[in-house]
Amino acid sequence: MEYLDQIAAIFSDFINPKKRIFVGYLLLSVLIALVFLVVIRKSSTKGAFGAIFDRKILFSRSSIADYKIFMINQVITMLVSPLLLTQIAIATAVFFFLHRFEFVASGQFEQTNSAVVVGLFSVTLFVVDDLTKYLLHRWMHRFPILWSIHKVHHSATTMTPITVYRVHPLEAVLYASRGTLAQGPVVALFLFLFGSTVSLATVVGVNVLVFAFHVTGSNLRHSHVQIGYWRWLERLLISPAQHQIHHSVAEQHHDRNFGAALAIWDWMFGTLHLSEKQELEFGLGGKSGAEGDLKVLYLQPFLDIARIGRRIVMRPFQRLRSDG
Amino acid sequence: MPRMSMKLTTALVASTLFAGAAYAADTYGPFPVTVKGYAGDKTNSVAYSGQIARHVLLDSLKKLASQGDGGANAAEVEAAMLSYFNGSEGDLDIIAPATKGDFVIKQTTLADLSKGKNISDKSYDGAMPAWPGDLTGREVLAHMITQAAQSEGGYDAANGYDWAQLISKFTMGAMAYNQAVDNYLDEKLEAGTNPNGKPYKDGAPYTGKEHVWDEAYGYFGAATHSLGLSAEDNYNIAKQKNLAVADANGDGVVDLKTEFVFGPAYYAASADKSGKTTYMTDIITAFIEGRKLITSAQGEDLTEEQRTQLQAYAATIEENWEKVLAEATFKYAGSVYNDIRKIGEAADDDARAKAYRAYVKHWGELKGFAMALQSGKNNLGRTAVHLNRLIGYGPVTLDETIVSGIDADGNFVRDRKLSWSSYQLNMLRVQEQLLNAFGIEARANDATAELAGLVESLNTDGGAETD
Repeated sequence: MEYLDQIAAIFSDFINPKKRIFVGYLLLSVLIALVFLVVIRKSSTKGAFGAIFDRKILFSRSSIADYKIFMINQVITMLVSPLLLTQIAIATAVFFFLHRFEFVASGQFEQTNSAVVVGLFSVTLFVVDDLTKYLLHRWMHRFPILWSIHKVHHSATTMTPITVYRVHPLEAVLYASRGTLAQGPVVALFLFLFGSTVSLATVVGVNVLVFAFHVTGSNLRHSHVQIGYWRWLERLLISPAQHQIHHSVAEQHHDRNFGAALAIWDWMFGTLHLSEKQELEFGLGGKSGAEGDLKVLYLQPFLDIARIGRRIVMRPFQRLRSDG
Repeated sequence: MPRMSMKLTTALVASTLFAGAAYAADTYGPFPVTVKGYAGDKTNSVAYSGQIARHVLLDSLKKLASQGDGGANAAEVEAAMLSYFNGSEGDLDIIAPATKGDFVIKQTTLADLSKGKNISDKSYDGAMPAWPGDLTGREVLAHMITQAAQSEGGYDAANGYDWAQLISKFTMGAMAYNQAVDNYLDEKLEAGTNPNGKPYKDGAPYTGKEHVWDEAYGYFGAATHSLGLSAEDNYNIAKQKNLAVADANGDGVVDLKTEFVFGPAYYAASADKSGKTTYMTDIITAFIEGRKLITSAQGEDLTEEQRTQLQAYAATIEENWEKVLAEATFKYAGSVYNDIRKIGEAADDDARAKAYRAYVKHWGELKGFAMALQSGKNNLGRTAVHLNRLIGYGPVTLDETIVSGIDADGNFVRDRKLSWSSYQLNMLRVQEQLLNAFGIEARANDATAELAGLVESLNTDGGAETD
């Protein structure tokens, strides 16, 4: 019985509206892709179905590796997450800290219209979350140690919604910690300023903005359905096609479109690349085969980190030798 | 229709009787007389009217604490208070709990309960560093009584003291809790003390151990039928709101000896109302099981095994009682935190004065319970030091000063500055300390509960979702 519960837990994200791969969002994504292919791309319905459920993509070596990684990571997450710093700990520490300031009192703005507070809180949380995702994602590409971890995600040569789970466990830890560090202080600050008026605007228990992101096809970012938006909109929101560009092996696409939901960060920091109709090749380039080798995917980052670490430690000595 | 309701009434009465029978085992007593060679006509060996008298002395003392008119009647009020605190040669009126509406109290004077009792002799007389002036617990109470008598209506706005609250909450620990856990359930359970093989005193219908145990139960202050009642019902008895549940024997009046719920038990029920704790049930069950065990010895000395078992029941009682006091302290730290917010939000002077009055009242309860907690058997060590430092000798007052000590004339000195927000932070820390030290669960007025709730409501998916 317990065994069954654990298996159910591994797949619980499919029935959890807080998760991107919630079955409802997946169905909506299929619907959006169908409408897009039939109405915009003038494809036949049969052809559209064929493109969405392409066996060569769904059962490629890369995708099958995604499915395995998905299950392995779910188990690892269950084991590791209790060890991580909790959001409540951060939020409490910040909440306590805010009492040290004399110019603002707890609950000072408690009388503010509750709709305003709820709106402000939901938007702030979403924006702060999105900005920190952008920053961390950029760093994942910028620093060699982080890139060695993030490479696992980019090694996918075909993309399906499950590819979102194709990450090294160390990356999952980094992202979870980011969430904690970003959301904890926001929660504490709002509760301190607005008291009990604060709550989240939710749909099915999810921040209404996150919900909007998911029902408008967030799952298509990791797919081969190239949906682009109008040019003006792609400066505000990252379209599925823009994220696919981020996964492209083409050199001109490297280090572009780091954004999660909002494109404004890429726009502001000069990393934006608007979508265009083109054939994209996903992955890291190089020789094929590594995208499906779990041993390499899980262990290589550790080897890379050790190598990079050694180089950093040895550098001063090497300089000494060359100086001598 | 009339016949219908007749049937209904009959069914109700029948089921009530039936339920009553089913719960009969859940009352504290009556227990048979087991003393060897007892010659009297008593058939019930349970007796703790002395403890009930002390609860009544305390409740009456609390009422008197707000009788001062600002100095003119100080001597008179102090004398009245001391007669309840130190006891009196003559009989004393029961000032509280007194009849309220249909909630008729059977007894009207102390002599109806027990003669010659007092609070002071049964008050914790060890160090009480939570209060300024290097006093023992008993001396602190005497000091508070003097201050109360000089105050106007028991309220000292300048220093932030509500004497009725301070005196009553502290005494709940200094007397009831201390006597029960540090005396009756502690050294008096030793083999050589009050042996079960002898009557408590010559001619008494109860053995030494029976009476020791009963007195401890008396200090807890529950009604004999409290175990069969919900937390809500017990709470309402203490608040004198529900005669029907209080009046167990159906004689139309409430017998303070057996049918009333006093302070310590009231606060256990108050925490249990949250549905998260079962302090009342756990404490009374341990008392009843312990009493059954003593009764089963049939007037013989308890064996080592029996005594060990009894001490285990005593430990359960002590542990839960301590938590009840910690819960109450926690709750009022939360009230003080919220009150500071309300003082800041007050629209005008009137509203501000009102909010400040509530704040001082809650602070008195906070301080009283924090001191009560330090009057038990356990040395709380650094927890006590931290609590005392965070709560202070007094609350932050309207000019943002706080009592820092007592001068040579016995007057309070306020030469310490503290801001409202710093004091709010102290309250958060008090709650944190209590949570860590006592692992309490009801946690009323948890100042960070909303934080926890909000974090809970957040979408925490972001974790694995990398793009």
